[in-house]
Amino acid sequence: MKIKATTFNRVLLGVVLAIALVIPLLIRTNQYNLVLVTTVLLYGVLATAWNIIGGMAGQLDLAAFAYLGLGAFTSGTLLIRWNVSPWIGMILGGLVATGFAVLVGFPLFRFKVREVWYALTSSALVEVLKVAFVMWEDVGGPVERYLPYYSFSLYHMRFGTYIPYYYIMLAILVIALLVNYRIGRSKLGFYLRALGEDEDAAEILGVDARACKLKALMIYAFIVGATGAVYACMYGFIHPSFFSGARSTEVAILGIVGGMGITYGPLLAAVILVSAREFLRASLGGQMESLYLVIYSVVLILIALFRPQGIAVFFQDAYRKLLSRVTGDEHVLKANTPGI
Amino acid sequence: MRGKVVRMLLVPVVLVAVVLSGCGGPATEEAGPAELPDKIVVGCLEPLTGAHAVFGTEAKIGMEIAIRHINEAGGIQSLGGIPLELVVEDAGETADSARLGAESIISKHHPVAILGLYISRLTVAASEVTEREKVILIADALVDSVTAMGRQYLFRPAPKASQHGASAVQFVVEAAERTGVPIERIAILNEDSSFGRSNATGAMQAALDNGLTIVYQKEYPFDIADVSSIVNEIAAAQPDVVVHCPYFMDAILFANTFRETGEIPKFISGMGACGYTDPESIEALGETAEYYSNTYSYNPAKDTPQNRRFVEDFVAETGHIPTEAAGMNYYAMWVLKEALELSGQLHPDDPLNPDNLRDAFLQLDLTSGPAVETYPGDRITFTETGDNPYAVATIMQVINGEPKVVWPFDAAEAEFVFPRPDAKY
Repeated sequence: MKIKATTFNRVLLGVVLAIALVIPLLIRTNQYNLVLVTTVLLYGVLATAWNIIGGMAGQLDLAAFAYLGLGAFTSGTLLIRWNVSPWIGMILGGLVATGFAVLVGFPLFRFKVREVWYALTSSALVEVLKVAFVMWEDVGGPVERYLPYYSFSLYHMRFGTYIPYYYIMLAILVIALLVNYRIGRSKLGFYLRALGEDEDAAEILGVDARACKLKALMIYAFIVGATGAVYACMYGFIHPSFFSGARSTEVAILGIVGGMGITYGPLLAAVILVSAREFLRASLGGQMESLYLVIYSVVLILIALFRPQGIAVFFQDAYRKLLSRVTGDEHVLKANTPGI
Repeated sequence: MRGKVVRMLLVPVVLVAVVLSGCGGPATEEAGPAELPDKIVVGCLEPLTGAHAVFGTEAKIGMEIAIRHINEAGGIQSLGGIPLELVVEDAGETADSARLGAESIISKHHPVAILGLYISRLTVAASEVTEREKVILIADALVDSVTAMGRQYLFRPAPKASQHGASAVQFVVEAAERTGVPIERIAILNEDSSFGRSNATGAMQAALDNGLTIVYQKEYPFDIADVSSIVNEIAAAQPDVVVHCPYFMDAILFANTFRETGEIPKFISGMGACGYTDPESIEALGETAEYYSNTYSYNPAKDTPQNRRFVEDFVAETGHIPTEAAGMNYYAMWVLKEALELSGQLHPDDPLNPDNLRDAFLQLDLTSGPAVETYPGDRITFTETGDNPYAVATIMQVINGEPKVVWPFDAAEAEFVFPRPDAKY
C-alpha cells in the first residue's frame, strides 16, 4: 500500500514540528542546551528571512543586524522609558525596521544599485547605524542600557529560563517559514526568482524590479526587526554593538550555504552550522583558542566546493529517495521543484 | 492507506506524550552537611577569540599562574587543603557568545566562581546567567555600570574605570603640588566606548573635587583618523593639563599630532590602561612617547615577594611583564582564595554554598597577604555593590623609553617628570 507524496510531506512536517516542540522539555534542566537551541532558532529565523531578499531576489544583503538592532532598540527603549511591553515593541520594532528599509531600499533600487554594490551599501549601513546610535545619546550612547530584570514576566518578556524564548523564536520561525513558502508560490516569488537569475531579462519581460525588491526587503526587515525585540529581552540589554557587521555576514553565509531560494535551506544551515560551530567552540575554545574557527571555515570551504547549490540540495536528494520508496513513485526522483 | 496515515500522524502525538510523561520535577537533593569535593573548580570565561582575544589570553595566563601558586601553597587550608582547578571557556566577542559560554561552563563544570570577561558588554550578558545560577563572578571589566546593575554575586576587586579617571587627576594634582607648578585648567578627552565614558566621568568628578576648571571636554570615536582639529581646539582652550582616555591607535595619533603642532600643555595624563605607555605604543611612538603616563589596575613594579614571584613566572612563560589583564586576574584569584578560606571558617557546614561564599566576600577585609601584595592599593574589601572602595589605580610614566611606576608616590619605582620639559603653555 502506497501513500501520496503530499501526505508524506505533511506527516514529515508534523514529526519535525513535534520534535521541535518537545526539545525544550527534554533538555529543560540544562540551561546551556536550551540557550544553544534557542540561538540556533534565532539564526534560523534570520537566515530564513534573509532567504526572501537574498535567496529569492538574489540581493546579497549584509545588513541583517542593522534591522535586528533597530528592532532591539525600538522595543528596548519603549520598555525602559515607558514600560511598553515588548510584545507591542516587537510589532513596532518590526515597523521601524521596515520603515528604515523603505528609506534605504527606495533610493537604492530606484538608482539600480545592485549586485556587489548593493552588498557594499548594505554592509556600510550596519556600520553607519552603529556610529549613529553611539552618538545618539537619548536612545543609544556608548553605555549599555539594561532592561528591567524579572525572573518570569510575560508582560516584560523577561524570563529566567530560555524555554519561553525558545517557543517565541519557534513561533517566529514558523511564521517566517510560512511567509517564505507563501511568497515562493506567489506571483511575487516567481518575479523575485526571475530577478535573482537575471534582472535585466526579467525587467524586459515586464517585472517591476523596484517594487518587487522593495517588497522583499520590507518583509525581510519586518521579520528581522521583530526578532530584534526578542533578542534584546533575551540578553537583557541594548547596545550599539548589536549593529554587528560580522554577525550580519554570518546570516548571509547561512543563507547561501543552506541553498539560495530553498525555503528550508537556511534553517537547515543554521541547525547544522550554528550547532557545529558552538560544539567546536565549547570543546576546543578553551585550549586551542582559534582552532575551532579554522575548522569551521574549512567546513564552509568544503561545502562551497562540493555543494555550491547549498546543503539543502544534498538533503533534497536523500529526501527524494525516501519519498520514492514510500510512495513507490519513480517520478519524484527526477522532479525539479523544491521538495517542501 | 488511511490506516497508515493515521498511524503516522500518531507518531508526533505519542512522542509528545512519552516526553511529557517523563517530565517529573527535578530530583530533590538530600539535606545534611555538605560533602566537600576533592577539588574546587574555578571558571575562566574570557574572550579568547575575536577582537579582544589579546586581553583574554593574558588574563587566562594570569589565572593559571595564580592557581599554580595557590595550590603549591597548600590549597584552601580552612577546607583541609583542597586544591583549585581551572576550567577555561571562550566567551567570543559578542553578547550571544558570552551568554553561551557562561551557560556552557556552568552546566559542564559547576564552578564555584567564574573570573572574567574583561569587556563590559560580555560581562553584562554573562552576569545574568551567573546571577540566576548563583555563581560568584569576579569581574575584570572596569566600566562602572557593571557593578550598578544590582547583581548579588558579582565582585570586582580591580579599580573601576571612574577610579582610573580619578587617579589620573589625583596624580597631576599631587605632582603639581610637589613641584610647585600651579594647575587650574584641565581638558578631558575620551574615546566613545562605555569604558572611555566611565573614565571621563571619574576624571570630571575628581577635577571638580580638586577645584579645577574643566575648559575643554571631548568624546570622539576610537577609530578616528585625524585629530588635528581636536588638538587645535585644545590649544585654543589653553588647559594646564590634558587627561585622556584613549584606545591604542588614537593615542598614537594624538601624541604625534601634539608633537607636530608643538602645542603641548604642561602634562598629558592617560587614563584607562590603553595606549601611550604599553610596550607596543612606546615602540610605535619612539621618543614621542616620552613623559606620557597612563593608569593601571596592576602594578608590576610593586616590590613584594609575591609580586616578584608572579612577575618572574609570568616572564618565564611569556617573555614579557604581566599586563593589566594578567595582573588583575592574578590578584582576583587570590582574593577568591581568601574568600574561600573565610567561608570555611565562617560556614564550616557548607562553605561552598553560593550564599555563604558571598557572605565571606562581603566580610573580607584584607590588608596583607598575597592578594594585597600584588594589588595596586593596600586594602581589599567589598561593598554591597561588589566594588572595593579603597581601590586606586597605579600610574606609569614613560621615562627614558621605559614605563615606570611613578604614583602612588610611596609605591613608585622612579621619580615622576612634571611638568613636561617640552610644554609650550
